[in-house]
Amino acid sequence: MRLKIIRISVIILFLLITGDLLYVQVIRGNYYYNLSKNNRVRIVPLGSWRGLIFDRNGVVLADNRLGYNVLITPQEVKDLNEVFAFLEDVLGINEKKLTTTYQNKKTAPFAPIVLKENISREQALMIEENRYRFPSLFVQENFERVYPFNDIGAHVLGYVGKVNRAKLEKLKEYGYSPQSTVGYTGVEEYYDSFLRGVEGGIQIEVNSRGQQVRILSFKDPVQGQNITLTLDSKIQTAMRDLLGDSRGVIIAMDMDNGEILGMVSSPSYDPNLFTTGDNQKAAALMSKNNSPLFNRAIKGAFPPGSVFKVAMALAALDFQKIKQQTSFICTGTYQVGDKAFRCTHAHGNQNLIEAIAHSCNIYFYHLGQMLGVDAMNRYAQELGLGNLTLIDLPYEQEGNVPGRFSKKRGAQRWYMGDILNFAIGQGDLLTTPLQLLRMMAIVGREGDDVQPHLIKNIGDELVTKYSFFRHVAIDPTAYQLVNKGLRAAVNTFSGTANAADIHGLFVAGKTGTAQTSGNQDTHAWFVGYAIGEQRKIAFCVFLEHGGSSQNATIVARSLLMRLQEQKYL
Amino acid sequence: MRRDLDKTIWLYTMLIMGAGLIALYSATYQNPRVPHKIFFDQLIGAGLGLSLMFYLGRISYRKFYDVAYVFYGINIFLLCLVLWGGREALGAQRWLQIGAISFQPSELTKLSLILMLGRYFSNRRPAVTFTFLSRTQKIIRDLIFPLILTGVTMSLVFKQPDLGTAILLFGIFMIMLFATDFEYKYFFMFFGLLICCVPFVWHLLHPYQKDRLLVFLNPNIDPLGVGYTIIQSKIAMGSGQLWGKGWLAGTQSQLNFLPERHTDFIFSVIGEEWGFIGTLFIVYCFFMLINCALDIANQVNDPFGKLVTVGIVGILALQAVINIGMVMGLFPVVGITLPFVSYGRSSFLIFTIMMGFLLNLSKKRTVF
Repeated sequence: MRLKIIRISVIILFLLITGDLLYVQVIRGNYYYNLSKNNRVRIVPLGSWRGLIFDRNGVVLADNRLGYNVLITPQEVKDLNEVFAFLEDVLGINEKKLTTTYQNKKTAPFAPIVLKENISREQALMIEENRYRFPSLFVQENFERVYPFNDIGAHVLGYVGKVNRAKLEKLKEYGYSPQSTVGYTGVEEYYDSFLRGVEGGIQIEVNSRGQQVRILSFKDPVQGQNITLTLDSKIQTAMRDLLGDSRGVIIAMDMDNGEILGMVSSPSYDPNLFTTGDNQKAAALMSKNNSPLFNRAIKGAFPPGSVFKVAMALAALDFQKIKQQTSFICTGTYQVGDKAFRCTHAHGNQNLIEAIAHSCNIYFYHLGQMLGVDAMNRYAQELGLGNLTLIDLPYEQEGNVPGRFSKKRGAQRWYMGDILNFAIGQGDLLTTPLQLLRMMAIVGREGDDVQPHLIKNIGDELVTKYSFFRHVAIDPTAYQLVNKGLRAAVNTFSGTANAADIHGLFVAGKTGTAQTSGNQDTHAWFVGYAIGEQRKIAFCVFLEHGGSSQNATIVARSLLMRLQEQKYL
Repeated sequence: MRRDLDKTIWLYTMLIMGAGLIALYSATYQNPRVPHKIFFDQLIGAGLGLSLMFYLGRISYRKFYDVAYVFYGINIFLLCLVLWGGREALGAQRWLQIGAISFQPSELTKLSLILMLGRYFSNRRPAVTFTFLSRTQKIIRDLIFPLILTGVTMSLVFKQPDLGTAILLFGIFMIMLFATDFEYKYFFMFFGLLICCVPFVWHLLHPYQKDRLLVFLNPNIDPLGVGYTIIQSKIAMGSGQLWGKGWLAGTQSQLNFLPERHTDFIFSVIGEEWGFIGTLFIVYCFFMLINCALDIANQVNDPFGKLVTVGIVGILALQAVINIGMVMGLFPVVGITLPFVSYGRSSFLIFTIMMGFLLNLSKKRTVF
């Protein structure tokens, strides 16, 4: 009897064991098979050669350079302190700092940790020579991005770095791994898919210590494509010099085809900081209060001030509210109810062309009153304000054109004062410098809208995507009249932009002095176009809190003279 | 009544040994931690064991009865010797070095305990109805005294420290006690009492032993430390799937993801390389061997032979089930080997002696 119980217990135990074997090996076998595969197969990524970025003349704007990283394999460390003491001598990094890096990054005993990126060649040699003493250390070669022009054009180019977590989530499907290098902002980000090429990799079989046993497969990295931009490094340098330390934007665009010749936003930053792995300096950039990382040309939404009068004039002419001869008398103030709206001077009798040339507020108050908010909104949008220009740069901002139903105002009704503010480009109207430049190009080409863009060639192929143009259907005579006004602003002695009158060059444009909130200085604008012998260039000079528009005009004059000297115009 | 039980024992013992040797070859031929020569050690051990088995099959098993107590005494002496001057390996003192030969007295204890208990339990005269033995005296005679005898070896083994074997020894005691005519009532009361004692035993354990038990409950506590073995072994088992990855082709074992794969974890080598078919084969062989031993126990009239057979059944079943369960993550990792398969000559020889005992018993079973 008792033997029977023992026998039954044995049978039950063996059945249980068999059942579990069946479950683990047959039913869940596939799952464990994959686990075992992941156990032994490692992929060592081989970084691809990132495509270079050239300017229109073939000058290199972004280059690659061979760099060296120091790595440490935790499982091969014998005496950590000794290793760090050695590294402190060679690299000059504090032992404590090394220890924290080591502890923060340590994941598995076989996974090498990057202790320091981009060490010098001499340091790399020193470490390699002492390899017999510290077998846990090794030096890895990789390509690092170099921007020879440092902070010139940094906003347009962007920078590169390792994929961060937020980006990786989005890019995983496109074959990015945590080790991938990816472009951040600027052209580096926008054209990343062309620049990055295809990462290669070696699939290796490793043993339990992570040591390579054999190579299972090998995939060559594919070189990224080079990119040629429409930028001109000489123009860029000139613009950077002109802006100096002041905050602002200068953009120049070929009016005929929308090629951006130069785009500089100031203050700028050195994109090399991000590749040298100097995290502290990079972090300092982020927290600086004049926001050097911010590309004001496409992300900054500012009140356009008087530059908006160009749109007002076109709207009023197209709406047939006024004719060329229509004139209003400027007495210096404009009374609405008990509130007086002022003009800069008492201009006296002004017709349209004079009003544009002298930037008379009173004239445009009248136009605003005649047009009403809906028409103003419609024409502003028609001319591209408050809309993305769709330039090939990421994170462009729309700005804001107020309207009767615009969200910003909510249920608040429109008062006459709001309309008058809108009419002279103040109030809720916010535009980016690039939008104003594009508006001026439309006016200069009498309605033909070109697409501003930066790309010229990808690899050897000419990019033709941007060669179409849109026509802004406004009465052609309206354009001609406004152009006359813009020209008069420059070439008449009393014109607001007279300082930009250059001998032998057709310059037309509109100044703007935009009031800002608080007690800060006004924004200075000068947006216009110049027609030279070589090409037609639309330009935009914007000085953030730069005071009078005269300042912007002077900057524009210097820029145009340089362009003329260098035979760009 | 089957007359060919000895042939069955020969067949399954040799099948298990053969499979074990093939697996051991695979486990050691590219192992950086142990030399490949241990395969040949085991091969020699197998030859030696088989001849020992053959020889023991011819001499009367009653000789074991005669030497049981002496053998037990010598064993206790050896265990003390190990504690006093044994060779240390893997953090435990388990080996005794005599000249060029080293062996583990704790393995020997399995046999000597079975023999001792067999003799002790079989010596008792069956209780007649009108006996003067009071209940207390009976309990002392049937339970307490053999428990103390077992406890001596158990604590010596536990001290080495070798938790697994200590538990096995206790398992042997329980099974053999169960096979006597000891009353169910007291047996289960004793069992209940034991379970109450578990928390006290916990304090006696070494920290690493506690770790192993905790990790068994949740291997992910420490995936790179103690839990590593369980996780890797389970991966090895499962990845073998139905047909296995092929002999010498197991990635988990050949690439050293499996620690201790020539001893405690050899079954996962089999699982990985031979798949479910292979593991089923091994489990089947063990079952048939145990089944056969139980058949012998059923047919034997001599209480000593019967009790010792039950003890052998117990040790075989416990070791096989606990080892396989350990490899599958069903039991904590307590260092119990798979009989005839894991590397270890002491253990190998002890099991062949047991099989020799069974062989002889199967021949004599009808004599009485």
